Amino acid sequence: MAAPVLRGVRKLLKLVDFTPVPRRHRYKKKWATTEPEFPASRLALQNFDMSYGIQFGDLWPSIRVSLLSEQKYGALVNNFAAWDNVSAKLEQLSAKDFVNEAISRQKLEPESDLSPTPSPDCSPNLRCFTFSRGDVRRFPPARLGSLGLMDYYLMDAASLLPVLALGLQPGDTVLDLCAAPGGKTLALLQTGCCRNLAANDLSTSRIGRLQKVLHSYVPQDIREGNQVRVTSWDGRKWGELEGDTYDRVLVDVPCTTDRHSLHEEENNIFQRSRKKERQMLPMLQVQLLAAGLLATKPGGHVVYSTCSLSHLQNEYVVQGAIELLANQYSIKVQVEDLSHFRKLFMDTFCFFPSCQVGELVIPNLMANFGPMYFCKMHRLP
Amino acid sequence: MSPALFCKLTTVPGGESLRESSCVRPQKYVLAPEHRTHLVQCLHEDRGTSVEPKSLELEKVTSSLQDMGFDEAHVNSLLSLQPSVHPQQLLDIISEFLLLGLHPEPVFVAVTKSPQLLKLSTMQMKRRSSYLRKLGLGEGKLKRVLHGCPEVFTMRQRDIDNVVKVLKEKCLFTVQQITELLHRCPGVFQEDPSELEYKFQYAYFRMGLKHLDIVRSDFFQYSVTKIKQRHMYLERLGRYQTPDKKGQTQIPNPLLKDILRVSEEEFLARTACSSAEEFGVFKKLLDREEEESKSHASEEEEEEEEEEEEEEEEEEEELL
Repeated sequence: MAAPVLRGVRKLLKLVDFTPVPRRHRYKKKWATTEPEFPASRLALQNFDMSYGIQFGDLWPSIRVSLLSEQKYGALVNNFAAWDNVSAKLEQLSAKDFVNEAISRQKLEPESDLSPTPSPDCSPNLRCFTFSRGDVRRFPPARLGSLGLMDYYLMDAASLLPVLALGLQPGDTVLDLCAAPGGKTLALLQTGCCRNLAANDLSTSRIGRLQKVLHSYVPQDIREGNQVRVTSWDGRKWGELEGDTYDRVLVDVPCTTDRHSLHEEENNIFQRSRKKERQMLPMLQVQLLAAGLLATKPGGHVVYSTCSLSHLQNEYVVQGAIELLANQYSIKVQVEDLSHFRKLFMDTFCFFPSCQVGELVIPNLMANFGPMYFCKMHRLP
Repeated sequence: MSPALFCKLTTVPGGESLRESSCVRPQKYVLAPEHRTHLVQCLHEDRGTSVEPKSLELEKVTSSLQDMGFDEAHVNSLLSLQPSVHPQQLLDIISEFLLLGLHPEPVFVAVTKSPQLLKLSTMQMKRRSSYLRKLGLGEGKLKRVLHGCPEVFTMRQRDIDNVVKVLKEKCLFTVQQITELLHRCPGVFQEDPSELEYKFQYAYFRMGLKHLDIVRSDFFQYSVTKIKQRHMYLERLGRYQTPDKKGQTQIPNPLLKDILRVSEEEFLARTACSSAEEFGVFKKLLDREEEESKSHASEEEEEEEEEEEEEEEEEEEELL
């Protein structure tokens, strides 16, 4: 083909790459000795087409197109700053606090006579704004307010659901076992319920990011007192380290970070060199969840969460960990039904209807949040 | 010819000599506006004194047009399209069209759509139709081309050449393919050549379509926006795959006509199997992605230029 056409091809292929890669990571042809023929993000997509095509059937195309398109964010209001002003500002943008809306609905609807236990309460004091269904506007970047703290934290709104489901109550001791990069940790602190919060992550670099988040959002006296402890240890050891200690435990495990893996090349777990690591993930996840359960006080609660769509990393892990605790430790763990909880948030999020245990937010163009799987467990006294 | 002689002609009662002399006139109308305005002046002057000759001329033209097959309403409509054009010239142009094998109805439609056709000279018309014939767009095909793009007669030759050049040299269509393409999508004549090239590259490289598919599906008649929206939606849904080097895909791609030719409702119901509201959101997101990648690309070009400049400076320093 004539040279001018080839030049055009390069331009077109650039357009095919739908994500702007940061300049320092961008592939520089004049310095590279080999071209990245099959990028990890492409391998990820192939992998998902195979497994999720089967797992989700007719639902897969709409999930797929959402994963490949720009995700939607929520603005978690920082209660340590001027939260009422911030809320007003966000309302002016025509965004709505979906937590508030859900809770209002809960108050209006009478509880079913059939439920033996009252529906679990959401963790309090969480305010998170989103634009309405089908509205693709973006929030302006967060800004420093008075008191030197940021006004809101932009995150996937679905990430708030595990924290809401955990149902913190004032005075709880809380463990966030895989805390980095810190969005859910921040949300736990926003509830104002943590008598003590232990935030841990194996990766020191990612724990560094968590520290930065706390620094920007949380007042010094809370950060530097006894209230918050940040560590970088192996989460699997927590059963031995701090067994039977915590009222509430969040186990937001490392996973294949499905959405992220389709867009970012750097450190992508679908790289061929990380295949073994990827295949070992479910085992690691079971170990972490087991450790989290062991670290819970008898009578306490655990929420397990991932940002993956995979059965193998979600329901299988929950069932595996419960079995492990029953067989090896004779500890009984009961899964809590979250269908009431799901109904509260149905208007904002799109839920997969057929999870065996737990709930799964699936991405949809009308509500491009998730994926987010979460399952609540009760360690029986 | 002197204006004085011209004015004299309008007062001659005999129809024949009027016709003879008028045949020479039309070129002067187009090439020499001062003669045209002079004609209008003469007509205005004569209005008060001799109404007859003018209406006689009109009568002649009218009956000729009716002989050609135009009904009275059409004739009146034609004559009022371009008041500045002399009825005889109008007749000459219409005659040329009919000589090309076109029927009165399509000619009427084309001229009504583009009245500036009447301002052409017969010379220009003959030149253009000869060129179109060389492109393979002769008698039978001309009707559709004229209907789709009446401007094909009034356009500048240079602009037509640029379009054909892109199709031949950049897109590498064969001569027969170009004929078929222009016949099916005459609107291509009026496209910006670089946009045309971009559309082709999108079809060929991005969608993996062959030249024949592009011609047969009337690909070029659709806007780039529509093509990208529908194609990328299907691609991200997992319902369209760009063929690999061997031209194979893992799934059977939908037919092109089911992607582009169908209405949006049918596209969503049968090809995409998706809802209107999801597609609506997708279109907004895609629009934003395109905007941002455009400004991104120009940033990158600037950065690369700067880098190259820096490298050149370094090389110069080394040489010193």
